Amino acid sequence: MRDSLSRRTFLKSSALALATLAASASAAAAAPLIRGPDNEPDEDVKKVLRARFGARQIRDGHVTLDVPDVAPDSREVPLLIESDLSMTADDYVKGFHIIVDHNPDIYVAGFNFTAAIGGATLDTRIKMRRSSHVRIIAETSKGELWSTSRFVYTSLNGCV
Amino acid sequence: MRDDIGEGKIILPAKITRGSVINVRALLSHPMLTGMSRDQAGIPIPAWYVKEVEVTYGGERVAYFEWTSGISRDPFVGFSLRASREAPLSVTWKDNKGGVFTHSADVKFTTTTADATP
Repeated sequence: MRDSLSRRTFLKSSALALATLAASASAAAAAPLIRGPDNEPDEDVKKVLRARFGARQIRDGHVTLDVPDVAPDSREVPLLIESDLSMTADDYVKGFHIIVDHNPDIYVAGFNFTAAIGGATLDTRIKMRRSSHVRIIAETSKGELWSTSRFVYTSLNGCV
Repeated sequence: MRDDIGEGKIILPAKITRGSVINVRALLSHPMLTGMSRDQAGIPIPAWYVKEVEVTYGGERVAYFEWTSGISRDPFVGFSLRASREAPLSVTWKDNKGGVFTHSADVKFTTTTADATP
């Protein structure tokens, strides 16, 4: 008798637990799944930005970054970068800069274009040491700087 | 040691029309070593990575990339190109140990329907 009662209690409580889990899972699905820490660059990142861009203003917008929220393999994190800025002969995107806050080389790569390219898109794969903001800065031929950033979670150190 | 280092290819779309913006994909076999890892005996593996990439179209430089070892092994890059004329497209990768690798593909326009045999 005692056994069956405790069994019933157990079943009830586990059913309740399951229901709670399901409810919290759907709540999590409604909210953005991944939210990284504060987007503000730390001193090391600011130093890299200053060295490369001086005191020029970096504004948000006009560049998009498509990257997984959770990188399955931190040795090969795929990035797809696009910009809606014009690509005419006298006003074009002359470069994309990739910055990863927590990598040994914070400035990962720069991709410089001429107007002959005709389209501001870039597709590549990078390594990440650990979870970090990935920042993209688009530089125009007129010297404007536009940026976007995404926080990417990684599991292993991919800097091999 | 891998024996395919320096092999690579440039992939262009199958159909290219004059003046269109096409997607170019360039792939190189290269270890892209950071210098931060060690081999099984615990000996540090020296850095070996592509530092510069130059893209020329009909002999004219159209793009130039500056890389660190933060670019993945067997580096891949996809970018746009306005197919303004029929000319060779070349990509040259230069690594930190003096290795220089060049691969090319010809930008050729698809035959128009008027030219095609019925």
